[in-house]
Amino acid sequence: MTQYTPDTFKLLAKQLRFELSDEEAIDISNEFEVLIHQMNLLDKIDTSKCEPMVYPFEEETSFMREDVVEQVFTQEEALLNAPQKKNGFFVTRKVVL
Amino acid sequence: MMYETVIGIEIHCELKTKTKMFSSAPVTYGAQPNTCVNEIDLGHPGTLPSLNKQAVKLAIQACTALNLEIDPVVRFDRKNYYYSDLPKGFQITQQFHPIGSSGFIDIETSTGVKRIRINRLHMEEDTAKQYHVEDETWMDFNRAGTPLVEIVSEADIRSAEEAMKYVEKLRNILVYLDVTDGKMEEGSLRCDINISLRPIGTLDYGIKTEIKNLNSISNIAIAIAEEEKRQSALLEAGVAVQQATRRYDDVAKTTVLMRLKEGSVDYKYFPEPNIPPVRLNADWIQTIQAELPELPDARKERYLNLGLKEQDVQQLIQNKALSDFYDEVILHTKEVKLAANWCISEVMAVVDVKTLSQKTYRLDLKEFGAMLNAVGDQTISSKQAKEIFPHLLQAKKFNEVVTDLKIEQVSDTSILEAVIEATLNEQAQSVLDFHGGKDRALGFLVGQIMKKTQGQANPAKTSQLVLAALQKRKPE
Amino acid sequence: MIEHFKHKASVQKALDKALAYQPKLNAMVSFLEPTSQLEALKAIDPSSPFYGVPIVLKDLVNMKGSITTGSSKILENYVSPYDATITQKLSAKGAIIIGKASCDTFGMGGTNMTAATGPVMNPYDLTRMSGGSSGGSAVLVASGVVPMAIGTDTGDSVRKPASYCGIVGMKPSYGRISRYGVIPYASSLDHVGFFTTTVKDAAITLEVLAGRDDKDMTSSNRPVEAYASLLKGDLKGQRIGILKNVIDSIQNQSTLKEFERLCQKLEAKGAICVPIQLNEDLMHAFLPTYYIIANAEATANHSNLDGLRFGVQKEGDDVEAIMSATRTAGFGKLLRKRFVIGSYALFIENQEKVFRKAQKVRRLIVEDLKKALSQCDVLMAPASSQGAPRLDDQSADQLSSEYLIAENFMALGNFSGYPSITIPFTLVDGLPVGINLTASAFEEAQLLDIAYGIEQVTQWADRTKELV
Repeated sequence: MTQYTPDTFKLLAKQLRFELSDEEAIDISNEFEVLIHQMNLLDKIDTSKCEPMVYPFEEETSFMREDVVEQVFTQEEALLNAPQKKNGFFVTRKVVL
Repeated sequence: MMYETVIGIEIHCELKTKTKMFSSAPVTYGAQPNTCVNEIDLGHPGTLPSLNKQAVKLAIQACTALNLEIDPVVRFDRKNYYYSDLPKGFQITQQFHPIGSSGFIDIETSTGVKRIRINRLHMEEDTAKQYHVEDETWMDFNRAGTPLVEIVSEADIRSAEEAMKYVEKLRNILVYLDVTDGKMEEGSLRCDINISLRPIGTLDYGIKTEIKNLNSISNIAIAIAEEEKRQSALLEAGVAVQQATRRYDDVAKTTVLMRLKEGSVDYKYFPEPNIPPVRLNADWIQTIQAELPELPDARKERYLNLGLKEQDVQQLIQNKALSDFYDEVILHTKEVKLAANWCISEVMAVVDVKTLSQKTYRLDLKEFGAMLNAVGDQTISSKQAKEIFPHLLQAKKFNEVVTDLKIEQVSDTSILEAVIEATLNEQAQSVLDFHGGKDRALGFLVGQIMKKTQGQANPAKTSQLVLAALQKRKPE
Repeated sequence: MIEHFKHKASVQKALDKALAYQPKLNAMVSFLEPTSQLEALKAIDPSSPFYGVPIVLKDLVNMKGSITTGSSKILENYVSPYDATITQKLSAKGAIIIGKASCDTFGMGGTNMTAATGPVMNPYDLTRMSGGSSGGSAVLVASGVVPMAIGTDTGDSVRKPASYCGIVGMKPSYGRISRYGVIPYASSLDHVGFFTTTVKDAAITLEVLAGRDDKDMTSSNRPVEAYASLLKGDLKGQRIGILKNVIDSIQNQSTLKEFERLCQKLEAKGAICVPIQLNEDLMHAFLPTYYIIANAEATANHSNLDGLRFGVQKEGDDVEAIMSATRTAGFGKLLRKRFVIGSYALFIENQEKVFRKAQKVRRLIVEDLKKALSQCDVLMAPASSQGAPRLDDQSADQLSSEYLIAENFMALGNFSGYPSITIPFTLVDGLPVGINLTASAFEEAQLLDIAYGIEQVTQWADRTKELV
């Protein structure tokens, strides 16, 4: 994806489930110029013999949790912050399957 | 044009753990909505996953039974997408490093034994349940976070029969391992089929359709048949099959388009930063493998060695609760074949699977064994046993029931001989048949006598006397 | 200092002061009524390190029953249904949480200008920023309201505001403190950190917060040391690596001069200042590497904010519309920008080129750092090139060496997970500037000890800037 336009960013936003105004999309694509230059600084670095680093410490661990019930909400606690609820369920508009 | 059907099957199976895959909230079925969740299952900000050791153990058992190679380092990834049943907005799964890879199971088909290869088995977490109520969707997060294993076959399956056998066998293995309760109707075992057609003799795969919502093994066959018809009709008409997901409609008994697949979805997979790689202890893995519960194939061998009929063996193997019950019954009787018959017919007729598996029946197996032994050495007849059995189910003792019901046996030779004479007179053809070499005639005649005596004739004695009587009526 | 806040009236005093300073500093998001906490205090051992001491939590930290907004609009009404592990630890040691401190929304920023409740001001100059993202926490300690405040540090979000506000700001090793219950920014870079006015207080605080938490699988099993009692402050023979790349990129002459003077004083105390040169290309790459990894992880981390189970929900005709309306309104422009850029890096065509590339560069950066730390006990450099910028300062040239290196080098501590601390050392044009020290993984004891020694040289400890 070496080509990008304000529409590119609008599409990305849509995929993230929010909207960008035209103004914002233009603003982002302008900022992106700077970002591209910064990202090009990465290109200067030879990573051909290198693995990605996912965790800061790459030690293997051995811990796994025992299968014992410990933390459970009451139904009230579970629904405490629910914007919409009914009969113990979280409610929303009909979902497209 | 003759087409070959190419099928791959994906199975999602809920693991029988007490708690969720990544949280310590309980796994239950049928509980009040949103009563089996905590902050992690609801995807609250700031929560972190905590890996369930038992889930890993069950996954290891499944990998072993399915001949998969086990990766001793457990690693998870994020599968990112937005949906109302996915609380975190991503699912924690094992995209890049499944715990099991390159396995197989062998199935028995009408054309012989076939090996179906399994590409991978990986662990992931289940989503919430949604109910559509008019124009609303109601969400219950009890199921969210339940441990799942996903088992993906290679596209080795070529027919509905093979598909059914594969799913049946896989399910059975997993149930025998006690890794899952495998209830397709309840959703603890879910099956998605990928099916495509190609001209016979070609090697390239055709465009595939994914079929979801198959909640029984018989529906798998129906769905495949429907798809074969639909796709071959399109291909014959020169129309390309579109890659799509279809939903099996249980009422219409056909598949319905859910959505077209435009290219592949970008889930932006990346390694889960909150779960560092977990190194599984080699001894621990070995112990799990050594202590694997008896698998269906091994149990089948064992039953065949007992001398049980293939048909009976099949019936027992298919129903683990029943065959577990059978295994306990035969601890109390030497009549293994009889016990098998009884379990398959009489027991199954009156005791439901739930009662069997939870062992909440009131039948005392020692007493049941005693009864079977009595039938075996012909102290009582089958008919009499059928009268006795309902009482044993009420936790009564065998000898007491016999007394209470006044189960008597007519062993008096003179009485029996009289009945025998009368019967042989009536059944002249059977007498001739017997002497003509038809052994079954003996059984028939004994049966007639049992009828006349309301099942009270001593079967052993009766057989003896009938034989003797028959000998006396030998044609010149 | 923590000790000075252990008298009975201190909680009320802190609340009153926070309230009084609020119009000028705007550091608080919410205030907490302390009655139930004070009641619970009765069951706690009075010799506990934070007995009755008022503190604040950065508003990313969950405290059951409190509003935790993440300084965002979308969680404006969110009532924490559970406690963060650190909240429980602090309460168990007697701390009284008087409220939640403002920050850049979800920790994503370096200025505290993006908070939903508005910017946070620097007590040293109210026309200047506190720095971020833990700006609120920093100014509440710097202005003497509380002796300790919890922050988080993903790129330098504790250590930079500490520099701008003239206080101690520490980020220990990754996994040293549990992140359970702390709203995340980037999971592989996030650290819980804290602010104090002295190094000793930092050591005391670390002892309370540190330790294995099974709810956080990345937390360390290493034993927690008695950091406070291990403080000696003897700089003799301590090898202090001077980060030349940072020094060479700083433009401000006063900062450089003061730093040079400090080095001389340290050497006079027996420390050995060793010039360290990290790979310059790698250092230029810090910011984009950080930006790419952090924003990509953040985007995924905030996918749970859909308005269906919690948060401020907006209307829509169907679920998709509800999610979209909720997120559009709830995120704000700056956040939306960051998320878009973050997801760009994870786009399947780009992942190899962008996200994974950044992860590879991260490894090279850490290896370079490791090599450097094999030649010295700590790495040292000014924590900022000069004092806090003005609130409306847009002047930074984002492609300059000064910006890329001097202002962003502390991400080293996040890429590597190594412990790092900023302590105040001088005023430049009347504004505080700190120095930053970084040691090897889990060498908190040594790091704090050297910081303690340097603090005795700078003579800057327990200083606050009260407002008139």
